[in-house]
Amino acid sequence: MATTTQSQPKPALSFPRSIFAAVSPHPFLQAHLTASTPAKAPLRANGRTAQEFRVPGVNTGSLTHCNGSAVVRLGNTSVVCGVRAEILKAEDAQGGGSDYTPTAEGDDDPERDTVEIGNLRLLVPNVELSTGSTPQHIPGSAPSTSAQTLITRIRSLLLSTHLLRLADLLIQYAPPAIDPDDPDAEPEKQVKAYWVLYIDIFFISIDGNAFDAAWLSALAALKDVRIPHAFWDEELETILCSDNPADARSLTLRGLPIPATFAVFEGRRDWDEEGEGEEINWVLSDPDAFEESVCRESVCVVVDCSAGRGSKGKKGPKDAVLRRIEKSAQRERVSFEHVGRPDTSGCWMIRSSARAVDLEIGALIES
Amino acid sequence: MAVNLDRRRINAPSGGTLAPVFARTVKEPGYLQSLRPSRTRGPNEPRQIFLQTGIVPSASGSAYLEIPSASSPSKSTLIPPTSSLKIAASVQGPKPLPRSASFSPSLLLTTTVKFAPFATRHRRGYIRDSTERDLGVHVETALRGVMIGERWPKSGVEVVVTVLEGDENGWWGDVEGNGTGNGGGWGLLNVLAGCITVASAAIVDAGIDCVDMVSGGVAAIIRNPEAKDAKEKVMRILDPCPAEHQEIVAACAVGYLASRDEITEIWVKGDVGTDPDGLIEGATHAAVGSLSVLKEVLLEALEAKFQTQSADANGGLKRKQQDVQMTG
Repeated sequence: MATTTQSQPKPALSFPRSIFAAVSPHPFLQAHLTASTPAKAPLRANGRTAQEFRVPGVNTGSLTHCNGSAVVRLGNTSVVCGVRAEILKAEDAQGGGSDYTPTAEGDDDPERDTVEIGNLRLLVPNVELSTGSTPQHIPGSAPSTSAQTLITRIRSLLLSTHLLRLADLLIQYAPPAIDPDDPDAEPEKQVKAYWVLYIDIFFISIDGNAFDAAWLSALAALKDVRIPHAFWDEELETILCSDNPADARSLTLRGLPIPATFAVFEGRRDWDEEGEGEEINWVLSDPDAFEESVCRESVCVVVDCSAGRGSKGKKGPKDAVLRRIEKSAQRERVSFEHVGRPDTSGCWMIRSSARAVDLEIGALIES
Repeated sequence: MAVNLDRRRINAPSGGTLAPVFARTVKEPGYLQSLRPSRTRGPNEPRQIFLQTGIVPSASGSAYLEIPSASSPSKSTLIPPTSSLKIAASVQGPKPLPRSASFSPSLLLTTTVKFAPFATRHRRGYIRDSTERDLGVHVETALRGVMIGERWPKSGVEVVVTVLEGDENGWWGDVEGNGTGNGGGWGLLNVLAGCITVASAAIVDAGIDCVDMVSGGVAAIIRNPEAKDAKEKVMRILDPCPAEHQEIVAACAVGYLASRDEITEIWVKGDVGTDPDGLIEGATHAAVGSLSVLKEVLLEALEAKFQTQSADANGGLKRKQQDVQMTG
C-alpha cells in the first residue's frame, strides 16, 4: 500500500501532498511511517523521526507589567506566559487560615506547603486558547473543554510537583521586642499577607502539544519571577514594597519537572486483507496538530532531572525522577497496552523524554 | 471585590488581591516625580514599529506588531516607567457561514479585541469588558469598508486581535495620585491605531481582496505648562505616548487609506478647540508613517515566499524521491 516510488509504475491517480493529507490523513501518516529506505529511518509527515522532539526556544522577561514572563516556541506552537504577583492580606485569606508557617529554611515540608498553597489559592494559573490561535477556538465564548482540561492539568501539576515553597510567598512581620526584661527573646513573626501568583498563559499559535508548551512557558516565567521585598509598615498599617531591584528575590523552585508528550498512532492493516492481524503502532514524540488529529491516544510523562546536578555535575537520564504519567482517556483500554510492554516501552519513554528534557533545559538555561 | 465567579477557570482568592504599593512613592513626595518619563522624540517623529506577518500558521493570515517603549528599563527601580505596545492579530477565513445563518450577499466581518490579563498595570479579567467590545466595534468599522466583501457571498471572516501589552492612559503616578487624571482613555487611541495597522497586515497576509491598505495613526494636542515659549505651551504632536505628557488636551485616532485619501474610522477625544482639521491631518500623517512600515514588511514577506517557492521548484526532484505515495 505504501512504498517508495522508484520501482513502481506511475499510479493512475496522484495527488499533491497537501490534498493527500487532507483527504485521508490516517493513511497519509502511515505511509510516511512505513516507507523506510535502508539508510534512513522513516520520517513523519513533518520531517521528524518518530522519536524526534522539536527544539524549544525560550525568551524571558519581555513583558513590562509582569514580575516574570516567558515566550516559548515549539515549532509552530507559540505561547506567552506572564506571572504577576499581587498581595492577599492575611485577614482576607479564606479556606486556609491554619497557623502553619514554615519557620527556618532547613525545615522544609513540601506536602504541608502544597496543601497550604492549594487552600489559600495562592497560585492562579489560567490558559487562553481563544486568541485566534486555531480555527477551533472561537473568541468570545467560554473556555472549551480542552482549555479547561489544560488549566486543570497545569494547576494539578503545579501542586503535585511541590514546585513552589510557601516560604517564598509569605510576607511576615516581626514586631519589635516589647519585653524589657528579656531583650534577647526572638519576637514571634506574624504572617501579615501572602503573595498570590497569577499565571496567565496565552496561546498565540497552536500546532500540537499545547500542554508541553504551556507548562514550559509557565516554568520559564516562574524562574524569571522577581518578587519585590514586601514589609508591613506600622505607620501606615499596610503592606509596602521596596522598588529597589537589589531587594527583590527570585523564587526557589523545587526541582525542574519537564513534560514530554507522546501520541500513539495506531496503524491499520491493508484494506483488502481480511482478518485480524497484529496491529502496528507507533509512538510519536511531541506530536503536531496534524498528528494529534489522527492519533486517538496520548501519554504525557513528566520527569525531573535536576536532582543529579550536585552529585555528578551533569544531568542525564540516570538522574531522572518520574513525577507523573498522564494518559488521555479517549479510548477505553488499559493504558500502556498500545505502547507495548511497560518494561521496555516505559523505559524507552523515560529515556526518550530525558532527551526532550535535555533540549528543554538547554533552552531554559540559554534564556 | 467579589467578582462574578467563573467556574470554568481558576479563580483568584475570594478575599481579593491588591497590586503592590511601593514604599518610596508613598513616603517620599519628590521621588514619585523623579520617575516621570518625558518625550525625547521630536513633535513629528513617531515611535519605531516592529511588524511581522505569518506568526500563526494555522490561521489564514496573521501579524504581530510591537512598538517598543522609548525609555529603557531603569536599573534602579522595579517600576516600569512606560508601557510598550504589543498586539497580535489573526484572521480566520473567509469560510462558509453555517447553514442556519441567513443569506448574506457579502462577506460578514467579525472583529474581536481582547486584552491579556497582563496587558496593563492593573490586572484585567478574562471576560470581555465594555472597553474591549468598544474597541472591537471601532476596528470593525475601520476594516469593513476596506475589504471587497462582494467577492465572498455567504461567507464570514473572523479577525481576532489580542493585546498583549497596551499603552497606558497616562502616567501611572498621575492616574493613581489624582484619581481623576485628565479624562483618561488616551492610551486606547494608541491601542486602536495599533489594532488597525496589525489587523490590516493580517488581512493582506490572508489574501483577502482590499481596495487599499488601511493603517492607523494618532495625533494629540498637549499642553506643556513648563514651556517658556508661548508657541510650545499648546502644541500638536504625532504618535503620543500618554505617559510622557502631563496634560493631553485632545487626541485623535484614524484609520486611513493613504492612496485614496480616505478615512474609514475616526475617534476624537477631548477639547479640539478651533482647529480640528489640523489634528486629524496630524493623525493621517502618523498613519502614513505606519503604512510605510506595513508596505515594507508585506513586500519582504512576499519576497521570502517566492524565494522558498523557487527553492522548492529547484529541489523538487530530490523531494519527489522522499515523497511517499499511496497506491491501489
